[in-house]
Amino acid sequence: MDSFLELALRGKSPSLTNSKKLSISPHNPSELALRGTKPTVFVGMSGGVDSSASALLLKQQGYNVKGIYMKNWSKDLPGMKCPWAEDLADAKRVAVKLGIDFEVWDFEKEYYEKVVEYMISEFKAGNTPNPDVMCNQEIKFKLFYEKAMERGADFIATGHYARVSEFEPAFPSSGLKFSSTSYTGTRTEPSLRDEPVRSVRNIRVENSNQIYDSGKAGSNSPMLMMAVDQSKDQTYFLYRISDEALSRTIFPIGGMLKKDVKKFAQENGLHNAYKKESMGVCFVGEVGMRDFLKEYIDIAPGEIQEIETGKVVGHHEGAVFYTIGQRHGLYISGNVGEINTGLPYYVVKKDLKNNIVYVSRDLNNANIWTDELKLKDIIVRDYGGKPVSDVLVRLRHLGQLMPAKLDGDTLRFEQKIKRPASGQSAVFYQDEVCLGGGIII
Amino acid sequence: MIYLDHAAATPVSKKALKAMEPYFSDDFFNPSAAYLPAKKVAADYENAKNVIAHAIGAKGTDIVITAGATEANNLAFSFLDKGSVLYLETEHDSVRKVAESYGGQPIGVDKNGRILIDDLKAKMTDDVMLVSVALCNNEIGTIQPLSEIAAYLREVKMDRLARGVKRPVYLHSDASQAMNLLNVNIARLGVDLLTINSAKVYGPKGVGALYVSRDVKLSPVTLGGGQEKGLRSGTENVPGVIGFSVAVNEAYEHLNGNRKKYAELKRILLSELEGYELVNKKHTLDNFVVICYNGIDAERLIFLLEDKGVYVSTGAACAASKGVKSHVLKAIGLSDSEIAGSLRLTLGETNTKEQIHEAARLINEAANIERRRNG
Repeated sequence: MDSFLELALRGKSPSLTNSKKLSISPHNPSELALRGTKPTVFVGMSGGVDSSASALLLKQQGYNVKGIYMKNWSKDLPGMKCPWAEDLADAKRVAVKLGIDFEVWDFEKEYYEKVVEYMISEFKAGNTPNPDVMCNQEIKFKLFYEKAMERGADFIATGHYARVSEFEPAFPSSGLKFSSTSYTGTRTEPSLRDEPVRSVRNIRVENSNQIYDSGKAGSNSPMLMMAVDQSKDQTYFLYRISDEALSRTIFPIGGMLKKDVKKFAQENGLHNAYKKESMGVCFVGEVGMRDFLKEYIDIAPGEIQEIETGKVVGHHEGAVFYTIGQRHGLYISGNVGEINTGLPYYVVKKDLKNNIVYVSRDLNNANIWTDELKLKDIIVRDYGGKPVSDVLVRLRHLGQLMPAKLDGDTLRFEQKIKRPASGQSAVFYQDEVCLGGGIII
Repeated sequence: MIYLDHAAATPVSKKALKAMEPYFSDDFFNPSAAYLPAKKVAADYENAKNVIAHAIGAKGTDIVITAGATEANNLAFSFLDKGSVLYLETEHDSVRKVAESYGGQPIGVDKNGRILIDDLKAKMTDDVMLVSVALCNNEIGTIQPLSEIAAYLREVKMDRLARGVKRPVYLHSDASQAMNLLNVNIARLGVDLLTINSAKVYGPKGVGALYVSRDVKLSPVTLGGGQEKGLRSGTENVPGVIGFSVAVNEAYEHLNGNRKKYAELKRILLSELEGYELVNKKHTLDNFVVICYNGIDAERLIFLLEDKGVYVSTGAACAASKGVKSHVLKAIGLSDSEIAGSLRLTLGETNTKEQIHEAARLINEAANIERRRNG
């Protein structure tokens, strides 16, 4: 058990064995430690293994932990069931076994207004929004954060795979450098390890009487960083959360590998170590986004045209239901006498006004490829006043990191990229720091 | 394991399980098929139905086999018009939701969960065709005075006839929880429709039956091959009905022994548990113990106790899993915090005195853990 705790604390970094382990500003204890009270953390518990393990870690690290289940909106119709009641029971069971307080906070109304309505209106406008990004921005790291603070929390925590560090402006010239303590260990860039410039929030001293805040919230800008387990990194969904919330957020498992989180949960008798991972958007459930949307948007049959020839190759149920790049769910029938090339059609363009979906078989179709994206609602996290221009961009969760220049509201890529759907997010990184992002127009 | 949730499910009795076995394999035939071995299966099925029906004082031809009590309750309402039903506000969801869908009016209960006959009288109009009152409540075990309700409904019928009103009025009762401890008899209860349930009497799950008096003209909910007199099409669940019949018989035989046994176990439990208030004090089944720990979240006790191998519940299993507060406890006047602190312990065949002593000790321990945590 201890070894896992240490893993979590160390972020699996081999360099941790050296003396820099305590570069977490032990000489600068927080006011909390001075008060001599255990800091209180409200942890969002979903019933899954990640948030359960997070709660356990926080308890072992000596926090006063309160578990909160956030009840979000779900559509409860026959055949469209979100398993929230089971999730709630799973979350509560873990809280009881940890002996921590547990509450259900009902954000159903707010979730519907901020996330579901937003999503439906974006789809109606022809975009493909990302509800998870919106949920984190509006619910988990806003309403949940605010209510937790009101209720006396010092921190909030979630089971996301991400990390938070704080930028200390005492070293503004050194640019992007981090405390070696949390650095992933999967890359070896010695220059980044030498000078402990940033301290990392999710690394804590385990003695319950000596918890040090890694910096004074407010005076330092928090930095969102990728998880150590890069195959699980969730920063793509988190880039829009506010600095204020970030400075008070702990991601207890951000320094662990998923397999270690699972093992840790198993070894500590958390029943949900074996639970199937939840995928996709809860309120959409198993029926899929298109069927969900049909509850809100009327079907409007229209033509599917081959973009090169203008030939009608099939019919669709409404252009709003389709996403650029989509290959499945197109009602296209082969024509008599035509040789099936074996190449699939996919959506390259939508004409909402005339309700036409354009498809192509040509992977090189100019509509698919671009080296430039226009963005709106851009967020760039200040990390010492340096302008952000050279960034690595991710266009979907766990997508490839692609080099680009950010110029105002335009991203220029070094190489052509497949055009993502409008409404999706482009998220910026430098090394392992998530600097922010924007919504693709 | 100490299982104290017999109102949620009962294990299938050894006898019932053994009786069912041949009908899964050797005697698997479709009872509707023409050849002799199938006809033998059909005869066994009809015999089993007779056994089930006899236990409630009916004939095999008076009952419709369904896939459980929920379906039987749904079928019982199938002849209604909108706004023609009154139901007890503490009914199980399989009655309540259906009644609501017919625009039904709820009848109130007193603090013991017994029907307020005056409320029933006040809500009775010439539109009402059905009154639905469960014989025993599934959360607190309250036994309802059905024959008293039936007597009142007879007056209503006579009054209607005297005034030339042709519309009939019937009494339906869901007796799912009752058959282990009460002698359930249609004539004595005065019901026109009665739901019984195999899964609560140590028979297999997914089998139930609806007794239908000859006056009531139901509409089938499922259409098809015309089985069960056309009221419930679908190939007969032969092993299920065989198992149900054996279980019903056993329940009937053990009736008096059960009563004594459960009364004694209940006495032990109530004397050894600490710091609780008894919720179901009167007019209740002997195997139902509902206790309230004020200031404690009873759901947390479930999770603490499951670690010790003690299985309890906070109310109807279905209601609890939906995260909804018990409408039954609310109806008998409990506050939100009292509802949150209420634990349902339902005794059954699997329990021994030793188990009950041990359970009381573990429940006290769990309650103390929670009291300490609350400070």
